[in-house]
Amino acid sequence: MVDLINIAIKAIFMENMLLAMFLGMCSFLACSRNVKTASGLGAAVIFVMGITVPMNWALNHFLLRTGALAWMGFPNVDLSFLVFITFISTIAAMVQIVEIVMEKYSPALYASLGIFLPLIAVNCSILGASLFMEQRQYGFAEATVFGLSSGFGWFLAIVTMAAIQQKMKYAHVPDGLKGFGINIIITGLMSLAFMAFSGITLF
Amino acid sequence: MKWLKDKLDAQEKHFVSGGKLEKLYPLFEAVHTIHFSTTAVTKIGAHIRDSLDTKRYMIIVVMALLPTMGFGVYNAGLQTQLAGGLSTDTLSSVLQGLKIFLPILLVTFAVGGFWEVIFAVFRGHEINEGFLVSGMLFPLIVPPTIPLWQVALGISFGVVVGKEVFGGTGRNFLNPALTGRAFLFFSYPAYMSGDAVWTLVSVAKDRVVDTFSGATPLAIAAQVEAPNSVVGVLTEQGFSLSNLFWGTYAGSIGETSVFCILLGAALLIATGIGSWRVMVGSVLGGVLMTTVFNVFSGPTNLPFLHLGPLWHLMMGGFMFGIVFMATDPVSAPDLKASKWVYGLLIGILAIIIRTINPAYPEGVMLAILLMNVFAPLIDHVVLQRKVKKRIPNVI
Repeated sequence: MVDLINIAIKAIFMENMLLAMFLGMCSFLACSRNVKTASGLGAAVIFVMGITVPMNWALNHFLLRTGALAWMGFPNVDLSFLVFITFISTIAAMVQIVEIVMEKYSPALYASLGIFLPLIAVNCSILGASLFMEQRQYGFAEATVFGLSSGFGWFLAIVTMAAIQQKMKYAHVPDGLKGFGINIIITGLMSLAFMAFSGITLF
Repeated sequence: MKWLKDKLDAQEKHFVSGGKLEKLYPLFEAVHTIHFSTTAVTKIGAHIRDSLDTKRYMIIVVMALLPTMGFGVYNAGLQTQLAGGLSTDTLSSVLQGLKIFLPILLVTFAVGGFWEVIFAVFRGHEINEGFLVSGMLFPLIVPPTIPLWQVALGISFGVVVGKEVFGGTGRNFLNPALTGRAFLFFSYPAYMSGDAVWTLVSVAKDRVVDTFSGATPLAIAAQVEAPNSVVGVLTEQGFSLSNLFWGTYAGSIGETSVFCILLGAALLIATGIGSWRVMVGSVLGGVLMTTVFNVFSGPTNLPFLHLGPLWHLMMGGFMFGIVFMATDPVSAPDLKASKWVYGLLIGILAIIIRTINPAYPEGVMLAILLMNVFAPLIDHVVLQRKVKKRIPNVI
């Protein structure tokens, strides 16, 4: 139990996907103009990550890794070269489901997210979470917690960013820095502040 | 005064648009408004007319900082004299302290002021009086041994990236002085932490007195091993609560004396400039977190976790941070409820980072920066809750 809490806190604060690993920046920078849209996208990412990481764990565990096919009678088969393509297809399928559901039940959010909703499929943080899960050899429960809390870390970062950008409406940014430039600077300053957590070891 | 005002008003025609020195208007404006309230005021309509403009507002913070600064100068000198085994009477300590502090202050104002003026002239805004406060705060939160080029670099980063790229005072989201210090802290950790940086040693190495260690109480407390108690070790090294309260120990220049900081806090609260909610919230948060650690950490854990709240409040930059940094009206949240949340979280985080993060001996700076980042979000959430409460009344 302590293990799982440890993983969760680590994934949310110390190894925040966005502010410590800098994964998933594109939709973070593009969809953070207001808190409502941002929290919608953030929730979608939590959902997709929370499902794909354990799902990919199962695929990896029972089909892909070396010796995984022993239960079928092929102990020497190594399908791990298929990891990337399998992970990405799972993610794409999940994103498709989220898209269909969102279009049906929350058309306003669907419209405001626009192209960035299907683009979650190529959001590096989601593939990143699956790959971290494989690399760190998490078990099933660990993978689930890791997926959900990584998603939550991403959610927290994008919502905070959106709140800051709402405040920035009153800023008077030099012309050359407007839009993308100032967002990168804000992200940098945010991750400077998030350095507060780096180095904490729990329990 | 009338004479000075006439002189200034006579020069105004050169600086207004169309005049010879039109570009330098921000400079003129700065000199003019520091002496007199602005000439551009509303004549008609229902406006509240008050002499408390941004300049008057900021100058009160500067006044609140004066006791801390005065004591900081004395203490920086005193520590140097003690380490060198030199005379420790007040005069020589103050002189030594001035030798340490004045260059840092001058470089801060020269370099920071340079950026301020450049941005004001080219972007056509007025010279921000907020810089006066940032420029006073920054020298007080650096160690006395800091090289001057780092002072210049830090304040440049703080002013330019922390504030001016967003359009100047009131538009930034992080405290500029803290941004500059955090930048230095992560870029040059060897100059900003450790035992060697908190006291300037003016004499040759072999003449330093034997009892001199240079370690701050926080650094000592963090390294105490299991069977000993932190209070015991601190007392052994010559630190007591009263010593920490009055502030005669090594640390960042302005952070040591809780007494002087409380004087400043009294002024800030009495004039309504600094938010008492943030200050009280932070103290509560700190006490709460320390108590939680005291109660729930087992006997085998770090002895630092068992240190009582009062010690935590007295040590390091806690009081300085929450009185002068956390209450910055620009980077703190605006609503009353969010101020409480913001303050509480600063106190809690500061103690967490301080005690269980081995990477940093002090956590107040990072806790405040982090909460600066979250401040707009806290405001947003609190506001949404209020709006939600009202909607049923409307419909």
